[in-house]
Amino acid sequence: MATVTIRNVWKYYGQTPAVKDLNVTCPDGSFVSILGPSGCGKSSTMRMIAGLEHISAGDILFDNQRINDLAPKDRDVAMVFENYALYPHKTVFENIANPLRLRGTADATIKERVTGAARLLEIAHLLERRPHELSGGQKQRVAIGRAIVREPKLFLFDEPIAHLDAKLRAHMRGEIKHLQRNLGTTMIYVTHDQLEALSMADFIAVMHDGELQQWGTPSEIFNKPVNAWVAGFVGEPAMNFLTCDLKRRGDDVVLSHHNFDIPLLPGQVRQLNGAAQAGIARMGVRPDAMTVSMTKPSEAAIQGEIFVNELLGGDMLVEVQLADSRIRVKTTPEFEGKPGEICYLTVNRDKWHVFDAGDGHAYF
Amino acid sequence: MASRDVVHYNTPLQRVLSVLSVVFVIFYLIWTLLPFVIMFVSSFKDLLEAFKLPAVGDWAGIGVFFEFTPTLKHYQTLFAENNFSRYMLNSLIAAGGSAVISVIFGSLAAYSLSRVDFRGKSDLFFWIISTRMAPVVAVMVPLFAIFRSLDLVGTLPGLILAYTTFNLPFAIWILKGFFDNVPYGIEEAQMVDGATRFQAFRSILPLVAPGIGAFIVLCILFAWNDFLFAAIIGSGGAKTLPVATRELVQPQNIQWGAIMAAGVVTTAPMMLLGLVIRKYLVTGLTMGAVKE
Ligand SMILES: Nc1ncnc2c1ncn2[C@@H]1O[C@H](COP(=O)(O)OP(=O)(O)O)[C@@H](O)[C@H]1O
Ligand SMILES: [Mg+2]
Repeated sequence: MATVTIRNVWKYYGQTPAVKDLNVTCPDGSFVSILGPSGCGKSSTMRMIAGLEHISAGDILFDNQRINDLAPKDRDVAMVFENYALYPHKTVFENIANPLRLRGTADATIKERVTGAARLLEIAHLLERRPHELSGGQKQRVAIGRAIVREPKLFLFDEPIAHLDAKLRAHMRGEIKHLQRNLGTTMIYVTHDQLEALSMADFIAVMHDGELQQWGTPSEIFNKPVNAWVAGFVGEPAMNFLTCDLKRRGDDVVLSHHNFDIPLLPGQVRQLNGAAQAGIARMGVRPDAMTVSMTKPSEAAIQGEIFVNELLGGDMLVEVQLADSRIRVKTTPEFEGKPGEICYLTVNRDKWHVFDAGDGHAYF
Repeated sequence: MASRDVVHYNTPLQRVLSVLSVVFVIFYLIWTLLPFVIMFVSSFKDLLEAFKLPAVGDWAGIGVFFEFTPTLKHYQTLFAENNFSRYMLNSLIAAGGSAVISVIFGSLAAYSLSRVDFRGKSDLFFWIISTRMAPVVAVMVPLFAIFRSLDLVGTLPGLILAYTTFNLPFAIWILKGFFDNVPYGIEEAQMVDGATRFQAFRSILPLVAPGIGAFIVLCILFAWNDFLFAAIIGSGGAKTLPVATRELVQPQNIQWGAIMAAGVVTTAPMMLLGLVIRKYLVTGLTMGAVKE
């Protein structure tokens, strides 16, 4: 168990930076997810922590001990690789036993620990097989088995379930989360899937283009994104963005668009900080922070035309055409509007966001 | 994977072709095997019987080849009078020694070339291969001069060194391809599991074992069958089988019987080696070509 501190860390490949001035502290025993699109520097960060990649600048500390210059074997971490990296010529048993063998553990202990880990992961019947005789899900369990067979300071999981099918992925999310809870070991879990991060992590570090965008709990990331990029990346279906004008009207500030004029809540006006009270801004609202109806519910409702309906099992997603863009809203399957008909959207103003039109940072 | 059956359509043309191919294979086998059969049979014949030939066109006379009383006297000549056991040992030591040394240094060098990036790497690699581009004869004279000044001429270490000079670039070249095909992730996993760099290297050796096996065979074959190095650098103290056999041809007396026996003694161990290691050799030489 360890607190992991990443302090002003940079990673350069030649002249191109892959990780830029990263600062993150993962509390002891927590489940931290590094979330970001492919190529944003997640694996590079992970590999610097594991010692597989030089740290171009900055420090990484485990419990206040600087580990920059330690060889991987002296860092006491266990890693699950994106492509599993099992030893093809060894049986499942020997694959899992490998970290213990390298530490000269007694045979009896090895047997006990490997069978224990295998039982936990439900692969006890596969111990004599070789990796090429396993399915993707089984390989992934073996890779996890190899990581949990000893008690490392830190787990590093690099998109371990990205290659599994959707159903198995949902199942493994729960299992991995449960495992980490039981072992209580600090976990850094890399993923590009925002659902995985939201559902599993205690804290999420959102990365984009090598830069940390936001650090926070899943609900902070989801409900209080710091900028438009995070807001757009997290959440499925994605947040709707509309370019609007901010206009002062008496004591109010209204968000003005071709299709609507809606005043901000008083608290939100204060968060605008005066400076941006007039000018262009981007309004963001999630599909589930709006309601759609066929009759006009109030003066403030936004009028639009239904473009298409998508039935998603228990939900219905309605795409509505406004003057210059389309927005999507979540409703129930009972919704009766047909494409081409006029409908009305009501925004839950507690849950909308306004972002700066320039750098995209969030006012609220 | 799709089944490997080749779908076969039994058209008349196909039938003719298959008969033709069988005929071709038979002729090819006779062509390649006959010298060995003659060598083997003749080594057990008295000289008079060995030169008994049927008249041209007399196919029934073929039986003459097999009318003889087997004798081991040629083998006795080799081992009792000519010290062939010593020469055989020299051959074994020279071939095996250079194979072992080449494989040790070759795998280390190939591993580094495969895994580490450094400036001038491709130049270095090309330079290593280019040492094999000149024919052996071209470097023989300078090599001989160097070896003589180092007092290595006529010694087994000298011969081993000479073979290693030529086998090592070959080893590096073959083995680099095998290491390139082993994903680096396996070593990374080993290192995170707690292995040192060297332990990680050792842990992937089983994965290149087919390559190493194939290389050892080729290396031993090269040294075992070599005549040029053995005649010039090994001459005197480190006589090997091919050189000793050549010496059975004397101006006034060509010892055909002993030569045939020497041929058998020289060929048999390599054939045996080939049989033992056949599986390795085939997978070894094709594994590099087909990526999983
Ligand atoms: N060994 C490398 N050499 C050069 N560039 C690399 C190397 N590894 C990664 N990169 C680059 O660094 C960036 C970040 O890569 P990576 O950390 O693997 O991202 P992620 O895991 O988030 O997909 C990418 O643009 C990638 O092309
Ligand atoms: Mg990655």
